[in-house]
Amino acid sequence: MLEYAEPVTKLIDELKRLPGIGHKSAQRLAFHIMRTPENELDRLLTAVRDVKQRIVLCSVCNNLTEIDPCRICASTSRDHSVICVVEEPHSMVAVEKTRSFKGVYHVLHGSLSPMRHIGPNELHLANLLPRLKPENNDGVEVSEVILATNPTTEGEATANYIGRLLKPLGLLVTRIAMGMPVGSDLEYVDEVTMDKALSNRREI
Amino acid sequence: MILDFVEVDNFRNLSGKIFWGPGLNIIHGDNGQGKTNWLEAIHLLSRTKSFRTQRLQETIRFGQDSAFVAGRVSSGDDLQRDLRVTLKENTKSIAVNGKREQLTRYLGQLQVFSFTADQLDVVRGMPEARRHFIDRGVASLRPAYVRTVSDYNRVIKQKNRILQDNLEHNRSLVELQDLLAPWNQQLVQLAAEIHEARVDYTERLNNELERSLFEPAELHIRYSSSLDGKGDLSNYEGLLNERLQLRLPAEAAAGRALLGPHRDDLAVHLAGRELRVFGSSGQQRSALLLLDLAAISVYNSWHDDRPLFLVDDVDAELDENRIRRLLEYLEGRTQTFITTSKRSHVEGFISRANVYEIAAGQAVQPELNRSTFSAVAAND
Ligand SMILES: [Zn+2]
Repeated sequence: MLEYAEPVTKLIDELKRLPGIGHKSAQRLAFHIMRTPENELDRLLTAVRDVKQRIVLCSVCNNLTEIDPCRICASTSRDHSVICVVEEPHSMVAVEKTRSFKGVYHVLHGSLSPMRHIGPNELHLANLLPRLKPENNDGVEVSEVILATNPTTEGEATANYIGRLLKPLGLLVTRIAMGMPVGSDLEYVDEVTMDKALSNRREI
Repeated sequence: MILDFVEVDNFRNLSGKIFWGPGLNIIHGDNGQGKTNWLEAIHLLSRTKSFRTQRLQETIRFGQDSAFVAGRVSSGDDLQRDLRVTLKENTKSIAVNGKREQLTRYLGQLQVFSFTADQLDVVRGMPEARRHFIDRGVASLRPAYVRTVSDYNRVIKQKNRILQDNLEHNRSLVELQDLLAPWNQQLVQLAAEIHEARVDYTERLNNELERSLFEPAELHIRYSSSLDGKGDLSNYEGLLNERLQLRLPAEAAAGRALLGPHRDDLAVHLAGRELRVFGSSGQQRSALLLLDLAAISVYNSWHDDRPLFLVDDVDAELDENRIRRLLEYLEGRTQTFITTSKRSHVEGFISRANVYEIAAGQAVQPELNRSTFSAVAAND
C-alpha cells in the first residue's frame, strides 16, 4: 500500500482525533491545508493557539470566556435568581438568541452517559449547588432552575439527576417543553415531534 | 396502496424496470437468477433495509460504487409518490418525489409485510423475534413508535453499563440506586408506552386472526408480560416501579437489567400447545402466515389502505395445498408478490396473475401466457 510522506500521515492522524472526522475527511483537510498559502495558515494556527491560551471556563457558570467571571455572570442587568442549565456552550448560544431569557446559565459540558463513562462526577456540576446560596450569589436568592438539557435519553437522565439533587432545596425546578417548531405547517412536522406534541398537549 | 413499478440500477444483479399488476404477481425463475433480488428491492424501497443482510454495501453490484431502487406508489384516487433509495458506498439516501426526506417521514409511504425464511424465528425462535414482530406491527400503525422502542433500548444499554461496571466497584445499594434512578425513571415511562402498545396490538391481531385457514387446529396468541402474576398490570408504571425497587439486589448481582418489556414474549399456541416447541414445521409456517395475514388486516382497518405482501420462495416454504389456500385468501385483498422456481405449484393462478420470468436479473417475456404479460416493460 502506498503511504504518504511522514509529516502528511502525522497530520492526517492528528485530524482524525477531532470529533466527527473520519479518515476520508482528515485526508481532504490535510490536502486543503497543504494547498493553503502560509499567511492564511498562520491565521488558523494563531486562532487555534489563542483559543487555548485566552479562553478559560467561567468559575461561576463554566461558560467559555476571556474574562472570569464571564460577561453574563458579571452583568447587573441579568436576573441572577433564575439559572438555566445547559449541556454545551452552543446550547447556551441557542437560548441567548431568543433574547427573551434574562437569567444566567450553568454549562455542564456534557450529559450523563454510562456507555461513554460519563457519570455525575464527569459533569461540571460541583459549582452548581454552592451558587444557590445567597451568600455566594451577591445576596440574591435563586428562585428557579430551568433544566434545558437536550431531548435525548442522556439529556433526560441528566435533567432527572439534577432535579433529584435540587428538589430537597425547595426551589422551583422546571424542564423546558419539547414540541413543535413554530412557523412550520403541521404537514411538515415529523411524526415523532407530532406524537410528542400531542401527548404533551395543554389545556387552553 | 399499489406499487406501480420498480426501477433498479446496480442493485445486486438487477438493472431495469418492471411494471407490476395490482393483484397477484408471480416472479418465476431458476435459482440464482435473481427472483428474490426483486423482492429484496421492493423491501428496501419500503423499509430502507434488506431482509437478507445488515450490510447494504453488499447489495451494490460488484465493481460499481452506487446503486438505486426507485418506484411509484399509488394510493387513493390519484395520489402518486415516487420513492427512491440510493446506496453509495456505506451511505444511504432516501427521497420522495425527488426531494430528500428524513427516515421517520419516509417510512410508511410504502408499507410491506413479508413472509421470508428469516421470519420463521417468529414461530420457532427466541422471544426477541416475536417482540420484533409485534413492534413492527405497532410501527406500521404509528411510525413514531419506532422512536419509543429505540429510546427504550438505549436506556436499557445505559442501565446495563452501570450494572456491569458495578460488578467491579461493588457500590452500596443506595449509591447504585442513585446512579440508576435517572435511567429507571425513563425506563418505566417508556416501558409503560411499549407495554400498552403491544397489548393493544396483540388484541387487534387476535380479532383479525383467521384461526384455522390452513390447519384444523385453532391458533391462539396472548401477550405474555414478564410481570404477569406479579401484581396489578392495569397500573403498569406503579407495578414496574415497585418491582424495580424490590429486585435491585438481583439486578446488582446479575449485572444487567432484569425488568421491563425487553423480557416479554408473545405466547403462540396451536390447539392449546406451545407452537414453538410442539408444532411441526408445516404448522409453524401456517401460523406465521396467519400472523402476517392478521397484521395486514389490522393495518388495513387502521389506515383504510392495503399494504403489500411479499412471499419469498413460496414452494420451498409451503406445500401446494397451503399455497392454494393462501392465494385464494389474498385474491382481491392485497397486492401480492411471490417468487417460485416451480411453476406447477401456482399453475392454477397463472391465468389470474401477472407472471414474470427472471433470467440473469432481467424480466424476460415468458413463452406461455403472453396475455398476462401485457403490463411488463422490461429493459425500459
Ligand atoms: Zn459565567
